[in-house]
Amino acid sequence: MMFVTIFRSPGSLDLSLSLSLSLSLSLWLHGWKYKKINGVCKSNSQNILQASLKNPQLLLLSVSLPTPPSETVFFGGLPLGAIEAIKAAYGVLVQILDPPRDGFNLTVKLNLSKLPPDEEYRHALLVKIASVREVVLGAPLRIVLKHLASRTVAPDIGQLVALVHRPKESFFVVPQTEKVTVLFPMRFKDSIDTILATSFLQEFVEARRTAGLNNAPSCLWSHSPPLELKGAPVEALSANAGFVSFVIFPRHVEGKKLDRTVWSLSTFHAYVSYHVKCSEGFMHTRMRRRVESLIQALDRAKPDSEKTKKSAQSRSFKRLSLKEARSSKNL
Amino acid sequence: MDAATSRPAVVIDNGTGYTKMGFAGNVEPCFTSPTVVAVNESFINQPRSSVKGSNWLAQHSAGVMADLDFFIGDEALSRSRSSNTYNLSYPIRHGQVDNWDTMERFWQQCIFNYLRCDPEDHYFLLTESPLTAPESREYTGEIMFETFNVPGLYIAVQPVLALAAGYTTSKCEMTGVVVDVGDGATHVVPVADGYVIGSSIKSIPISGKDVTLFIQQLMRERGEHVPPEDSFEVARNVKETHCYTCSDIVKEFNKHDKEPAKYIKQWRGIKPKTGAPYSCDISYERFLGPEVFFNPEIYSSDFTTPLPAVIDKCIQSAPIDTRRALYKNIVLSGGSTMFKDFHRRLQRDLKKIVDARVLASDTRLGGDVKSQPVEVNVVSHPIQRYAVWFGGSVLASTPEFFAACHTKAEYEEYGASICRTNPVFKGMY
Repeated sequence: MMFVTIFRSPGSLDLSLSLSLSLSLSLWLHGWKYKKINGVCKSNSQNILQASLKNPQLLLLSVSLPTPPSETVFFGGLPLGAIEAIKAAYGVLVQILDPPRDGFNLTVKLNLSKLPPDEEYRHALLVKIASVREVVLGAPLRIVLKHLASRTVAPDIGQLVALVHRPKESFFVVPQTEKVTVLFPMRFKDSIDTILATSFLQEFVEARRTAGLNNAPSCLWSHSPPLELKGAPVEALSANAGFVSFVIFPRHVEGKKLDRTVWSLSTFHAYVSYHVKCSEGFMHTRMRRRVESLIQALDRAKPDSEKTKKSAQSRSFKRLSLKEARSSKNL
Repeated sequence: MDAATSRPAVVIDNGTGYTKMGFAGNVEPCFTSPTVVAVNESFINQPRSSVKGSNWLAQHSAGVMADLDFFIGDEALSRSRSSNTYNLSYPIRHGQVDNWDTMERFWQQCIFNYLRCDPEDHYFLLTESPLTAPESREYTGEIMFETFNVPGLYIAVQPVLALAAGYTTSKCEMTGVVVDVGDGATHVVPVADGYVIGSSIKSIPISGKDVTLFIQQLMRERGEHVPPEDSFEVARNVKETHCYTCSDIVKEFNKHDKEPAKYIKQWRGIKPKTGAPYSCDISYERFLGPEVFFNPEIYSSDFTTPLPAVIDKCIQSAPIDTRRALYKNIVLSGGSTMFKDFHRRLQRDLKKIVDARVLASDTRLGGDVKSQPVEVNVVSHPIQRYAVWFGGSVLASTPEFFAACHTKAEYEEYGASICRTNPVFKGMY
């Protein structure tokens, strides 16, 4: 059967992605048909959604995961428990194709005729499909936390579990019966980002100590690798923005809290990086305001004669045409 | 190949009215949202106190994080309607970035909240109007490279992208006139073999927003009961859903008068303050709105040249050997060209002008030499509304795209001035 690509998305920030994918899916459901284009070249993207021309009810969703570092254990190209997690999350809606399409870790066939008729439930399921990356990559974390809820340790899991979350980067989980420690080595490419992230994380740990957050998982930041990471390979321990660890207790994973905990933990790096970018933007805003006020001070210091001369000189051709275009529009 | 080039590039087309954003290689943008930011400015306008930082302390204790407390797009509009802590700010005016603070925040939300990608992992393609000053291009580059650490950036000229969009749907044609009618700016840009003929670019001070204002004015003058705070939004909705282009105003007036039941539409809404429902009629403004482009004198007395005449003037000012090809491929782009039969009307009016000129020259020459008729062709395609975005999506999915980008390494080596030059103006195709 011929399949054509109808949507591709990168899914690099969120493990799962994404509103855009679910939007595209619902568009598809509402009779939005693929329009043929020539000349769009293939690129190796992260998520790819393909549809069959013959049967519009069948969609192929292929996912490629970030390259795992050496310490992470993958079974047949997928993290531990991923297949079971997919089956549990989607039920009859999806069928896993083995082997996956070339260049992807996982290909599933979606049968849209099996979607429930109820609009709300259907939407929830579509969002769930869009979060396929979270389901796949978060599978081992989910297993560990589920066992924590029942105060046991998963049998086939080692002392220190490495989970991939970004290309060639992983975070670590130390499962115990009474608590699970989750450790994030934080790495940033840019030197400014590193500094901002370091101070952000220190504030973050500080904020945890305020009275209102007593029930939140306790959180620590340190510059050097914590003791729990003794067994980890050296290259996994080079983190330029320090290490963050969370201690998760059974009360954090009771019932419905489990999903939220898994989600928050697996998107933690994205959360920090978003805040780093936000603070950079905010600093730029302040810098701009400062420059403006300095320029104003300079303008005030000018003698009047110079002012008129200056404005006549500064009318370059480009500026003039732009200004004219603007003023004529404002009329 | 590093990781970033193997991922699809992010394509964001920031228009005055709407921003179109998505990933390269897709047919449609993932999101189309109004270019507007709702900012919480409750603490910004306070006087700068002598003790530094006390302003921030006050903010902190009030639980307001001004740097994070803002919304964009539809969310911004609904937030500003429901509470008065937020002020709306439109970062782009008349196709030019006006407020860089809010623009930066807008991009931030686009990337992190809408597209949900890591900007460090993707090349970016942004668009700009043909009249953008190099300084503002530099500023864009600065924000993209400094704040978002993008690995590569390409700032494309909107009309060229619009032409590239037609390139894939019909035939390989990189010569043509792009009539780009957006919400805030209208440009007529001739492109020959992918090179923009800069000296012949014509701009019109009439754009989609003026159509909205005109409709608003017509409705107000007729005394329709639209709450004043909502009237602009209603006019915009009427424009987007009910307007069409007519072939002859007088005939159209007669049609409306004869069969009001068929032509007059109803608009129903709810008053934002009281919650009471209201309804109003939509009649002549359905065709008078788009008519602004063809008979501008009905709207303003300052600018009276109709759009077809401007296009004709633009082509006449282009090099003589390109003129026939330009007449043959007039491409529409932008949301305000979406009115029904807009391209037919434009083609007819333009043809009239051209034929009159040909006839005049024939009589002047005395009938000895018969000139070849000039083919006038206005191309309209289904993706006209996001033609610019789609062109960007096509361009950014070609392998050459990554080589044409300004990279972060270049930025760090030479500074923001690398963004001054535009590879499209140099001719990428």
